[in-house]
Amino acid sequence: MIFSKFNVSFLFVILFLSSCSSMNVTEETVYSGDVKTVQASTNNEDISYDSQAVFANATIYFDFDKTNLTSKSLQTLKSVVEALDDNSQLNVVLAGHADERGTREYNLALGQRRADAVSQYLILNGVESNRIITKSYGEERPIANGQDEESYAKNRRVEIN
Amino acid sequence: MKKVFLLLIFSNFIFSELVLEITEGTEDPYRVAILPFKGDERLSSELENIISNNLKRSGEFYVFKAIDLLSIPDNEENIVFNDFKILNVDYLVMGNINNGDVVYEVYDIRKRSKVRSSTVFGIPNKNRQLAHYISDGIYEEITGIPGISSTKILYVTQEKKYRLMVADADGENEQILLESKEPIISPSWSPDSRQVAYVSFETGMAKVFIQNIATGEREVALVNNSQISSPAWSPDGKFLSLTLYQDGNAEIYILNLRNKNLTRLTNHYSIDTESSWSPKGSKIMFTSGRSGSPQLYELDLKKFNAKPKRISFEGNYNAKGSYLPDNEGIVFVHRSNTNFQIAMKYFDENFIRTLTIAKMDESPSISPNGNVIVYAIKDDGMGLLAGVTLSGAKFRLPTTKGAVREPSWSGYLR
Repeated sequence: MIFSKFNVSFLFVILFLSSCSSMNVTEETVYSGDVKTVQASTNNEDISYDSQAVFANATIYFDFDKTNLTSKSLQTLKSVVEALDDNSQLNVVLAGHADERGTREYNLALGQRRADAVSQYLILNGVESNRIITKSYGEERPIANGQDEESYAKNRRVEIN
Repeated sequence: MKKVFLLLIFSNFIFSELVLEITEGTEDPYRVAILPFKGDERLSSELENIISNNLKRSGEFYVFKAIDLLSIPDNEENIVFNDFKILNVDYLVMGNINNGDVVYEVYDIRKRSKVRSSTVFGIPNKNRQLAHYISDGIYEEITGIPGISSTKILYVTQEKKYRLMVADADGENEQILLESKEPIISPSWSPDSRQVAYVSFETGMAKVFIQNIATGEREVALVNNSQISSPAWSPDGKFLSLTLYQDGNAEIYILNLRNKNLTRLTNHYSIDTESSWSPKGSKIMFTSGRSGSPQLYELDLKKFNAKPKRISFEGNYNAKGSYLPDNEGIVFVHRSNTNFQIAMKYFDENFIRTLTIAKMDESPSISPNGNVIVYAIKDDGMGLLAGVTLSGAKFRLPTTKGAVREPSWSGYLR
């Protein structure tokens, strides 16, 4: 496993032998630095965009560094709740996103809070929590690539699928 | 590490491959003459080039070439010290190549004496590595600080696929550690530089993996139903601090890698993430939104039930902090107006120093000797890696095309 003994090719020896008073004498061997490439098998359980999510498909937008729902979002969410009420088989994945400003890990947490805010609204309005999965992509999956407020606003979102 | 005054006038970069931009603020560089190594002309010029670039990139060296010199001694007895003294050369480096091994010597011109004699045994097809070892020996001899040319940098690239890459500290010799269709973020070295931890979205949700660099063996750090992110190794390699989302909110935990026990560190309804360990492992710094905007906090691990202490106060966005290796201060991402910049604060000063002036600089990572910071920049929407040294030199790393981001500097490998 990971923590087993390490490849012996990393053997490198540094000898510090002091000979005359102020001269450093050293000996060392270059190490190989071998690297193995791994392929990640993506076993993505995302619900496909066009199969199951016919009714509850929606996107909710947020202000910069904010996770609260705007009045416009509430309108959208009302129809999502209706769709979920009408289709009891339907489950939703809430994927939170952030714009590219700020650090990636903070944005991952921000995206999660946005997904959680939507999740809380759905639960408060009668959707069972076991029908909801929340997750975040942080700033990793922008839908607009520009470096301007218009693009940023499109990227600060929760996708409901 | 000595504090070097940083002149904060950085003009725009000009590019080719590796661009070295030494600002006017650089104090008296060490002036070093490197003579061609005897015994293998082709290898010598390859090594000379790499060594010279390595030293110059540190911002602390001026390198003379043979053509600039008054005399070229071919052995110790023939050195005319006055010929070097007159050009204000501080140190002379000469050497021999024998069968791929290099013996080099460093002479102190003022003392008129040999101060170092070193042998580096090469191995086939690792000439860059050989050059980096020689550079580090020269650097250490002259500055008294270990060199970082033989260290490595991890980073993530995105083209059609996401790739976790490892390269030499000069950006050359790139190799792929992991390839995935889904995002990869937050790579982090184990203290012995044999393993890496990172966040991969390959399962459809952020999860932390640990991978052995040489063998490719990997495993999830912790099995959990919710997201996990932001891994950071403790200095002794026994623990991994992580951000867990199992409590309905981002909270920081410490994972014991041997028995997989979890210890919760934070408990607050706002975001807590981006943990990093102090050099001795006694403190953890993290980013928290508990004051209403992201700020840096510190937790003393030696105290029972310690309260997080806020340590950043300037501006409304300070995040992703890391400690300088001598624990004299921290480096972090700071927003001033609308720009995100890399900033530094020494603990004994009550102001911050911004190290960069672009719009969207992030992910600073500090070299193991504390002298260089590598970070991610956006140039025309494109991600690239850049570096700034505490002596005021700036450079960009020549990495492959595609968006490059999330650099992480290894420990010493020599």
